[in-house]
Amino acid sequence: MRRLSLILILSLACNVSVLAYADAELIVVTHKENPVGAMSRSQLIDLFMGKYVAYPDGRTALPIDNNQLKSVFYNKLVGLSVARVNSYWSRIQFTGRARPPQEQDNDQSIVEYIKANKNAIGYIPKSQLTDDLKVVFEFNE
Amino acid sequence: MNKSGLLVRLALVIAFSSLAVGLISAELFYRLTYLNEVEIANKEITQLKQTVSATASIAAYLEDHELAKEVVNGLGTNDIVLGASIRINQQLITPEIEADGASLDFKLNSPFEPDKLVGTLSIVPNLSYIEQRARKIGQNNSMALIAQALVVTLIAIYITYVLITRPMINSAHHLHTISPGTRDRLKVPDFHDGSELGELVRDINKLLDKTESQISEERKLRNDIEVLEKRFRMLFENSVSPIVLMEPRGSILLYNEAFHLMLNKVGFHFKKNYGPLLAELFQTPERLQKAVQESFTNDEIATGEYKLKSNDKEDSFWVQVVVTSIISDDMKEYYQITLHDISKRKKELEQLSLQADYDQLTQLLNRHGLEKQLHNLIDTKTPFVILLMDLNGFKQVNDVYGHNVGDEILIHLAGVLKKGVRREDLTCRWGGDEFVLVLKQINKAEVLKIVDKLIAKINKPYYLANVDISVNVGASIGAAFYPENELNIHALIQKADQAMYMVKRQEGHGPTQHIQFCDQLPDTRQH
Repeated sequence: MRRLSLILILSLACNVSVLAYADAELIVVTHKENPVGAMSRSQLIDLFMGKYVAYPDGRTALPIDNNQLKSVFYNKLVGLSVARVNSYWSRIQFTGRARPPQEQDNDQSIVEYIKANKNAIGYIPKSQLTDDLKVVFEFNE
Repeated sequence: MNKSGLLVRLALVIAFSSLAVGLISAELFYRLTYLNEVEIANKEITQLKQTVSATASIAAYLEDHELAKEVVNGLGTNDIVLGASIRINQQLITPEIEADGASLDFKLNSPFEPDKLVGTLSIVPNLSYIEQRARKIGQNNSMALIAQALVVTLIAIYITYVLITRPMINSAHHLHTISPGTRDRLKVPDFHDGSELGELVRDINKLLDKTESQISEERKLRNDIEVLEKRFRMLFENSVSPIVLMEPRGSILLYNEAFHLMLNKVGFHFKKNYGPLLAELFQTPERLQKAVQESFTNDEIATGEYKLKSNDKEDSFWVQVVVTSIISDDMKEYYQITLHDISKRKKELEQLSLQADYDQLTQLLNRHGLEKQLHNLIDTKTPFVILLMDLNGFKQVNDVYGHNVGDEILIHLAGVLKKGVRREDLTCRWGGDEFVLVLKQINKAEVLKIVDKLIAKINKPYYLANVDISVNVGASIGAAFYPENELNIHALIQKADQAMYMVKRQEGHGPTQHIQFCDQLPDTRQH
């Protein structure tokens, strides 16, 4: 009984946190020293969906998926569920050309990764923004 | 098989029209089918596009040639697709294909930004395949239609035959063999009791009924007329009197057996025309015609007695002629002539009249008869001489021997006289014992000759057998001539009488002068 109520509270909390997150603003960030400027949504799509593997200026890009925010991100980006995105990746997997973005567990790990990789580009809640990161896109509601 | 027969015509028409309809509809159907098939093909292609759309969009978005090739190859495996290609910004990312301008182009949009065009998917339909398919379908349909039309035709022909044509033809054939007036009737075909054909057959039968009854009525009428006609004919033919129906001009229309017999009797050959009112048969046709005319003018039936001409010189044939004028229904005039044979009656009358003119005892003319003859002679201006004869000694004989003897003597003397004159001369018993002889066209010398002979015979004794005696008589004769002596009978008789008296006076006074001519008389009157 206690375990059940614990699960309930946790799930609620999760939902709440998701909701909280859903309502929270999402930002796409790169390393502070990444020369890339602001990016358009289309450009982001091109990067995260495997069309391009380089930034507009030609330097290699390294898109990273945030496990925590994945569904919210893709929902906002392309209006698709994670499942759909996954099926997209599985479809083009045979041609071998494109690769899905690497995945990190949570916001913190995203921040860490980007701090470690100047080519990386990922997404975190706005509240997680640090000085090491540069915002290249902000999802408006 | 009757070329114009109902069955043949009907069959031909049905077959023809169903063939025409079948062919036309088959052609129409093929065209429609073809168009339809093309449309279907397009739809199918569109559906194919839908199937590959997502992948094609991704391929275009990623400019993934491999993926794109996979897509178009997949499409190419379809029968209805000749080939497909994907373009990005007009650039082919798949191998070139032959598109004869009939390709369907579909926009490929970014899978992630639906309003962003990333490329074009062109699919070329396999027209020949589509056409073939359409044609096949069309053909199948045509076959089906034609087969159907054929079946329907056969069924239609058969049903029409059984239901309409055959019963009609049967009825027609039967009617052909029916002769009106018999009991034969048409049979109403099965299942047609309520139909128009049944009604027609019933009407025909009614007509036949009427015809039959009419014919039998006519027959009966004809029979009645025949019976009537026979009776009339019997009446007509068996009539004893000849009856003739003729036209005014004389041509005979009807005559009976009696007429024929009459003609035979009078010795005439039968012919169709004896002239108006049978003129040629009569002695005095003008008299007959005049009498008939008069009667008709007075609106009477003409009737009269007329003598027929005859080959028989001895017999005379008299008929009473009755003529009636008849106007027929069509305003034509006819004469009905009936002849009644009155010859016998006429003969009897003649006999009677003869009797009136003749002396019964002596069979000589009597005074009346002689006078009649004398009138005739005077009328015809025939010269003659009258000899008035008185018997001498007759009275005594009569007184002595009786009247029977006297009669006998008179009869004998009459015979003598008759024999003693010529055939054309007349002998007459003028009175009890007076006789008159009239000798025609004679002169004195001849008179004397005849008289002498007569006197000789008269003076001869006459033997009476039953009384066994002979008697003697004599005669005194006076003569007068017409026209020399007198012109009328009375005067002639008188003169002859006077002359005779002269002779009688001289009887027993010298030589007997038996005859005296009146013009030789001494003129005693003047004394």
